[in-house]
Amino acid sequence: MRLRLTLAALLASVGPALAAADAPVVPVFVEETKSSGIDSTYTGQWQYMVGGGAAVFDCNGDGFEDVLIAGGEKPATFYVNTSSRGGALSFRTHQSGLEVDAMTGAYPLDVDGDGIMDVVVLRVGENIVMKGKGDCSFARANEDWGFDGGDGWSTAYAATWEKGNDWPTIAIGNYIDRTQELEPWGSCTPNVLQRPKAGAMGFAPEIELTPSFCPLSMLFTDWNNSGTADLRMANDREYYEGGQEQMWRIRPGEPPTLYTKADGWAYLRIWGMGLAGYDLDGDGFQEYAITSMADNKLQTLKEPPKDGAAPKPTFKDIGWPKGVTAHRPFTGDDLRPSTAWHIDFQDVNNDGLADLFIAKGNVSEMPDFAMKDPNNLLVQGDDGKFIEMADKAGVASTESARGGVLADFNFDGLVDMLVVNRNTPSQIWRNVTPGAGNWVQVRLSQPGDNVNAIGAMVEVTTELGRQTREVVSGGGHVSGQSGWVHFGIGGAKAAEVRVRWPGEDWGKAYALDANQFAILDKAATVPAAWTPPR
Amino acid sequence: MSINRRRALQLGGAAALIGLTGGPARAEDTDQEAVGGQILRQWYKVVLRLVRHTATYSPPVASRAFAYLGVAAYQAVASGSTSLVSLAGQLNGLKALPPRDPAKRYSDAVITHCVMASAVKSFFGNTGPTGQRVMAAAEKKLKGDATMGLPADVVEASLAYGEVLKAAIIDWSMDDGGAVIENMGFPMAYDVPKEPGRWAPTSAIRQQQFPLLPTWGENRTFAMPSGATCGLPPPPAYSEDPASGFYGEAKEVYDVTRSLTPEQTAIARFWSDDPMLSPTPPGHWMFIANSILEDEKAGLDKTAEVMMRLGVAMADAFIGCWNAKYQYDLVRPVTYIKKVIDPKWEPLLITPPFPEYPSGHSTQSAAAAAVLTFIFGESYAFTDRTHERDGLGVRSFASFTAAADEAGMSRMYGGIHFRAAIEQGLAQGRCIAQHTIALRTRSST
Repeated sequence: MRLRLTLAALLASVGPALAAADAPVVPVFVEETKSSGIDSTYTGQWQYMVGGGAAVFDCNGDGFEDVLIAGGEKPATFYVNTSSRGGALSFRTHQSGLEVDAMTGAYPLDVDGDGIMDVVVLRVGENIVMKGKGDCSFARANEDWGFDGGDGWSTAYAATWEKGNDWPTIAIGNYIDRTQELEPWGSCTPNVLQRPKAGAMGFAPEIELTPSFCPLSMLFTDWNNSGTADLRMANDREYYEGGQEQMWRIRPGEPPTLYTKADGWAYLRIWGMGLAGYDLDGDGFQEYAITSMADNKLQTLKEPPKDGAAPKPTFKDIGWPKGVTAHRPFTGDDLRPSTAWHIDFQDVNNDGLADLFIAKGNVSEMPDFAMKDPNNLLVQGDDGKFIEMADKAGVASTESARGGVLADFNFDGLVDMLVVNRNTPSQIWRNVTPGAGNWVQVRLSQPGDNVNAIGAMVEVTTELGRQTREVVSGGGHVSGQSGWVHFGIGGAKAAEVRVRWPGEDWGKAYALDANQFAILDKAATVPAAWTPPR
Repeated sequence: MSINRRRALQLGGAAALIGLTGGPARAEDTDQEAVGGQILRQWYKVVLRLVRHTATYSPPVASRAFAYLGVAAYQAVASGSTSLVSLAGQLNGLKALPPRDPAKRYSDAVITHCVMASAVKSFFGNTGPTGQRVMAAAEKKLKGDATMGLPADVVEASLAYGEVLKAAIIDWSMDDGGAVIENMGFPMAYDVPKEPGRWAPTSAIRQQQFPLLPTWGENRTFAMPSGATCGLPPPPAYSEDPASGFYGEAKEVYDVTRSLTPEQTAIARFWSDDPMLSPTPPGHWMFIANSILEDEKAGLDKTAEVMMRLGVAMADAFIGCWNAKYQYDLVRPVTYIKKVIDPKWEPLLITPPFPEYPSGHSTQSAAAAAVLTFIFGESYAFTDRTHERDGLGVRSFASFTAAADEAGMSRMYGGIHFRAAIEQGLAQGRCIAQHTIALRTRSST
């Protein structure tokens, strides 16, 4: 394996990623739930009808992605990844301190920048920040860090490092007032923003983000490619009154303000449940997929500027022409409308085109919606349209799915799949796609407090074109990961990678060989090749 | 109210309860009447929430539920009343309902509560987990309010009779053509005609590529003979000729919507009444009526009669309107204007996924207004607070007719209806309402 500093001529003319193949390679997954050691179930009554997330990160420095799965009313379960490279997926339960109850979901975030991953736990009740102590153990840090856990029904999270800050800004989305038996509708409780305390480690008193419209997903994302992330929220119209989807303008030192119609923000009222972003068309601006009930949405800027001007936050829906509405089960006899939750863009066949996973599952015996609602794996073709392949791929589970994470758990270069179901055991599949393309995976590191470079953009270019991914902490449905950023590169033998570190301009391009892991340390002059330890 | 009631019971003794079969009118009767009215209105508040939060409840489906619930509540009272007349034989398909047992004592309020609790569970059994939780909590609370201080035999007999009556109403409802709603009312297959002037899908939502409830106009009506009873003349003949009447109507929508005043915009949004984001158009009028009855502290008799008449009128209005909609199958303004006048034009409101002519909101608003005018009078001024919690403010009207007219015009401001659909819709609604107004509810009428 070798690293090269640059690839000549490769970038002379780059455009959107284009796969060479006429038809997408059909991904193939093998379910290894029973043999993997993953055996937890997200369960609980009404207050757990939403939620059911997982956090995936490396807790012990071996590079492998470890897994925390929310348990709802039961304690969460933490699993250390014991897989070997290219082998079967294997995990063992580990008492970590994260075994708290009432957990709806969780996200990894190195809050204090000590290089050891911490975890933000969302709960029905007080949220908790758990400080990583090393060796996969964690301890409550609310008091030490001034984190106000509240007493809400928390269902969304996002984090960013605002420019100039050495401590993260965390947004928490809260659902309805769970004490309201007769009047639950219209009782969305305030979302909150916890910014750094000036001049000291820890959080300042929280700021309410109101009006609050019961978000089920949040994402700090640089939607306008400005170098600064704003806060998008997918809001559940079931519970808000006078609400809509929202995006907050977050600027350091300034109060958050909502984007409005005057700014160009377009009115959209759906059962917003999950959010994911990816620049699918290579224009430098991300598309956003939003899950809902019945039709799901894929938004793109209505008028992307061609002259470098700032775009208006006006999005249009391209879900249907792109083939991602996924509005009802695509297989089986149950043709009632679908209910969609977690969503994520990952390239599951390594053809250089991002694919789309959607977790599906009835809220709770709602007979107007499908009860046998298979998850979707929408594989992108070279025409930019997506083709349903979950059944062919072997991942069309009809359990009542909620959250999940797509990650390469066994370092074979193929993105595996973990899905958290409600009231039935979580499931995990190993990706064994024959004929899959090549890949590269990078992990970012930078000096200072935002060690994992949340908010960075990573660009990979090959002869097939250019792919760009934002490093985020948030989105999906109460599920998140921190670690390796995966790119399929099709038949390319090498790729050029560069990073736009948070708050900075694009950095220098480096060449990577195909099928290579590399750690991109901002302080280093060249990427560091990395090899799995087993 | 519970305290007053307890006080009344203390004064009059447990045996002297209002609504007891054959019992004379006395002070406690008034109390019972008031309690019953409050309980019924509380149930309607729950129902309006459930309509908003149950996915199958498009406006026609909501109107149907309002009609059956209204009849159920009305019959709960009429079954023991010497002044209210049963609707059996007056409403299509409604045969004699089970009578009360003369040997038992009953409470109208408890029967009404039971009928509503049980019927609401039937009509909204498909709601989500939060709705289920609300129904259970409401039943528990309102049962407690209704039965407080009553003798056990009265409570037991009343609850049992309520269940029997509810079962009869549900049985009556099952074969009207509207009992089963699949795919949120959108057919799984439908031949969408391609000729110019016919309805075409207006959104990129996959579920809405076929029109909503295309056979609803064939449903059994309640008080009028059939869905075709108040038929309409055809709309202006379709034409793309700028000199044509049809073009003129489209141009009017285009011009009006391009220069909306703030007041017109507010009107459009106020009457938008989108399914799943509001109690729907019929729910809007139920909210108005419920609020007026609340303000008037109306008793159970009047509350039940008003809500029955209003529900029946609007249900018939939707059947009649849908009958005409699928008879004429007319294109929506957004389709025509984009094709013929301005491809970049966008209406203020989301265009509903079904044919244009006539305007459903106009038909049902006119029907509702006619019924409420019949009950409350020509110049009954009121303030409409339906959407206050949604941030749309309140609007005040000098009469129900004025409100209905505004509701009709709101559809032009919203860019979703031509003038003919509004004017003919209002006329159709007034016609349909006469069949509800003709129902005999009082023994003296």
